[in-house]
Amino acid sequence: MRHLYVVIDTSRTMEDQDLKPNRLTSTLKLVEYFVEEYFDQNPISQVGIITTKNKRAEKLTDLAGNPKKHIDALKKAKDSTCGGEPSLYNSLSLAMQTLKHMPGHSSREVLIIFSSLTTCDPANIYELVKTLKALKIRVSVIGLSAEVRVCTVLTRETGGSYHVILDESHFRELLMFHVKPPPATSSSECSLIRMGFPQHTIASISDQDAKPSFSQAHLDSTSGGPGLSMGGYFCPQCQAKYTELPVECKVCGLTLVSAPHLARSFHHLFPLEAFQESPLLLHHTERFCEACQGELKDKSVFTCPSCNSVFCVECDLFIHDTLHCCPSCIHSRSAP
Amino acid sequence: MKLNIEGLLVYFPYDYIYPEQYSYMLELKRTLDAKGHGVLEMPSGTGKTISLLSLIVAYQREYPLEVTKLIYCSRTVPEIEKVVEELRKLMEFYSKETGEKNNILALALSSRKNLCVHPEVSSLRFGKEVDGKCHSLTASYIRAQRHSNPSLPSCRFYEEFDAMGKQVPLPAGVYNLDDLKDFGRRKGWCPYYLARYSILHANIIVYSYHYLLDPKIADLVSKELSKKSVVVFDEAHNIDNVCIDSMSVNITRRTLDRSQANVETLQNTILKIKETDAAKLKEEYRRLVEGLKEANVARETDIYMSNPVLPDEILQEAVPGSIRTAEHFVGFMKRFLEYLKARLRIHHVVQESAPQFLKDIFEKVCIDRKPLRFCAERLRSLLRTLEIADIADFSAITLISNFATLVSTYSKGFTIIIEPFEDRTPTIANPVLHFSCMDPSIAIKPVFERFQSVIITSGTLSPLDIYPRILDFRPVTVASFTMTLARTCLCPLVVGRGNDQVAMTSKFETREDFAVIRNYGNLLLEMSAIVPDGIVAFFTSYTYMENIVASWYEQGILENVQRNKLIFIETPDAAETSMALEKYQEACENGRGAILLSVARGKVSEGIDFVHHFGRAVIMFGVPYVYTQSRILKARLEYLRDQFQIRENDFLTFDAMRHAAQCVGRAIRGKTDYGLMIFADKRYARADKRGKLPRWIQEHLTDGSLNLTIDETVQLSKHFLRQMAHSIHDISNCNVQCFCQLNLSQEDQLGLSLLTLEQLQSEDMLQKIAQIAHQA
Repeated sequence: MRHLYVVIDTSRTMEDQDLKPNRLTSTLKLVEYFVEEYFDQNPISQVGIITTKNKRAEKLTDLAGNPKKHIDALKKAKDSTCGGEPSLYNSLSLAMQTLKHMPGHSSREVLIIFSSLTTCDPANIYELVKTLKALKIRVSVIGLSAEVRVCTVLTRETGGSYHVILDESHFRELLMFHVKPPPATSSSECSLIRMGFPQHTIASISDQDAKPSFSQAHLDSTSGGPGLSMGGYFCPQCQAKYTELPVECKVCGLTLVSAPHLARSFHHLFPLEAFQESPLLLHHTERFCEACQGELKDKSVFTCPSCNSVFCVECDLFIHDTLHCCPSCIHSRSAP
Repeated sequence: MKLNIEGLLVYFPYDYIYPEQYSYMLELKRTLDAKGHGVLEMPSGTGKTISLLSLIVAYQREYPLEVTKLIYCSRTVPEIEKVVEELRKLMEFYSKETGEKNNILALALSSRKNLCVHPEVSSLRFGKEVDGKCHSLTASYIRAQRHSNPSLPSCRFYEEFDAMGKQVPLPAGVYNLDDLKDFGRRKGWCPYYLARYSILHANIIVYSYHYLLDPKIADLVSKELSKKSVVVFDEAHNIDNVCIDSMSVNITRRTLDRSQANVETLQNTILKIKETDAAKLKEEYRRLVEGLKEANVARETDIYMSNPVLPDEILQEAVPGSIRTAEHFVGFMKRFLEYLKARLRIHHVVQESAPQFLKDIFEKVCIDRKPLRFCAERLRSLLRTLEIADIADFSAITLISNFATLVSTYSKGFTIIIEPFEDRTPTIANPVLHFSCMDPSIAIKPVFERFQSVIITSGTLSPLDIYPRILDFRPVTVASFTMTLARTCLCPLVVGRGNDQVAMTSKFETREDFAVIRNYGNLLLEMSAIVPDGIVAFFTSYTYMENIVASWYEQGILENVQRNKLIFIETPDAAETSMALEKYQEACENGRGAILLSVARGKVSEGIDFVHHFGRAVIMFGVPYVYTQSRILKARLEYLRDQFQIRENDFLTFDAMRHAAQCVGRAIRGKTDYGLMIFADKRYARADKRGKLPRWIQEHLTDGSLNLTIDETVQLSKHFLRQMAHSIHDISNCNVQCFCQLNLSQEDQLGLSLLTLEQLQSEDMLQKIAQIAHQA
């Protein structure tokens, strides 16, 4: 689980036109894309957005797990004006206020998109960096213009990464780099979390009593369509209805997810080890790939380090990119 | 690692070596083999010091009879400390590798102020006070008096050292100033005298230029150093000015007044002594008749280094009769002072040569050339005889007597300029007599003659051929080394025009031009918006900076710049400047960003390094020519033209370019550093200026970076800064986890600009190395 605050610099320098049409529009568009990708890869994580200008920091959106809200807010922000100077200190302390209450098993991260070369701080930022470090908040920075010393120190101290973009496509690449969560560190605490796995049920047409009903999530949102639907996910604890997962139940506070979500988050935390590559000639015993059962024809084959099964190149790619677990290991584990 | 440099086993205390370091050692070895002098240029931050030290120490071990001593001259105390630390590292490596305790004694020497441990004396603030106080406690006759009168104060550290310290030599090891102090405190010995005594048998000495070049100090400290020494002048790009300063004398009315008072004191003391102890004066007289034979014998047997203030002829003759008795000498000095006073009472500038001056003095007050030449020696002898403790008080009269000796000894190479007022304040009478040395070779000549190898090295010595010419020596090696880089981390740009196409230049005719000043302002403004953290901007002079900053203020440029960065200004006041510097660094550190406006040839341009974020860009506004209207400079140029066939313009350009190189070189202090170097003057694009920059800068100055407009500069700089910020990271970042590293990862540099031992031994690398050294 990740808790990430994205800080977007909306200072005067964002009006610079070296990214088209200007830095702000380009950045917001990319962040939108980032948010989508982020929730795709980290379904049970949360994101919040902070903007900073005129020496102040404002929360655009709170930490939440629903991409729609963020994207709407980002779309609105496109029309806002840029001005003044950013303040790293204010944005970081704003993010810290929320992040420090997040449970220890989840990651606490801040991603700053920093266009300016200066920051206007009310106090010594190095004190804040120490606090961040103590709270295990990881700060990464993507610079839009050049390397700034204070960011270098900030990221080095908190264990984050610092990059400066070359052009727009590089910018996108760098943002996508942050979509993947950092591997779980052994130092993070372990704790049990209650989760609900609601099933999607649709009231059958034949059932005359069935009425379309509101989803809980729509109750307080002013926008959105009719909000009435026949089917949905029902919280196993309080029977509140939701149309989308994952979500935190508004009534009883239970985290509602579906199993694939959990699986997708899981593999980032414990990535599958890379298979060992070796030339085919060494393998006289195995002539077939363990996964696809096809004959091994390529020059090299891949061996799983834990179960010593042999795979072909294509299966290796499939396993690492999509499956995220070794089929042969799972097989041997389930049938002892 | 152990290296084989043409058959010499060199221990190098690091696992990796830069190719240029290897090549530097190669050249150095050849210089030592030939027992000649060398001029070597290598950019700062490439490990010059350690290469020098490890090679020379290895040479000393291999041929202990050929090279007995290394004398390493540096400029400031922090630099001296840095050298000693490197040396310590090297020695530790030696004892680790060879397993035996090495018996090399290395020590740093500095003034009494930095070495004194006497609780009262060391608390004094000024160097002169410390020297004077120390002298009043430790002078030989004071100590003799103490035998009869034990209540006189003494320095127990000196007494202890005098009693015990000379019997046992300082144990082998590496001593910096603090180590010496510690050792002194532990043993109760005076560290200063201990160090001065120990340099005679030390293997390596690290001290300031002045101990070797300033004739007054060199005579005390360095004259007994062995002939078979290797002398290294580090950061030697200004060595000619140091030489000239050490030989020049400036006399103001104040000096004369104080000398007058000195003479009075002398006279009174002589009268007093005559009543009590006439024998003493007689004894002195006898000694003077005998002449300075002793000194002559010593020089002939080659024990001492010759002193330029004390020419050879003097030694062979006795002190002339007219100043042999004390009263006569005092009378003589009085006459001389009166004459000088009369000369200072003028209303127009006078410039004359030494022979003219001598002729005039002979006609007006009947002072001959010969007694004048003995002035300095005679005064020293008198002060010794009169047992005057506080020498510091007599600095004025000593200065005058030195002047007398110099003016009568050297008919060439010096000029006398008497100015009734300063140029800036033509209404206030402030007469000064400049006795200025124009030939730096006079002061350094004894060094070249005495020592078998003298190495002159610095980051900026280009053009290399001019140093041997102005210092008048024949080097066996002259070489310039470039930096081999894994990435181009310096970006020199020559900005010639503003966006309005008006040429940018600090040329005298156009420097007041509104458009030029505005364009300079725009350049600063644009750069302040795109360069992160620190920018250092250099102007050609304080007055020029004041003018420009004032008109920037009127035009509102400063206000706009301040929106991007804070502005700090260097002033002639040292305390103010160091305060500004401190705040500047703080602002850079905090991400606030700052600009430091300073002056070429000022304190900032010479001694202070702007590593990494402290100097991401250096802007050089204009070409830093010296103030050409100065009469001293004019005289010197004339002399250079007549004596060394160096054209005036060549020398001026050379001098301007070495200072410009020095200024912009502040930004790059190593291979992991990066920085912009902006030359804001269209004249830099010309081949005669460009060709005089150090090779390691020239190499990166392509045709594409010449005569740019401000806009083009901004585009290029932006690209460069991004490229640099990017390339730091993409090396360490593969795909999963990346920690931001300030240093380039070693793998990347390895094989290109960092070499392991195996790589060094490969054939093609050796060929590459051979190309690095650029034989000038």
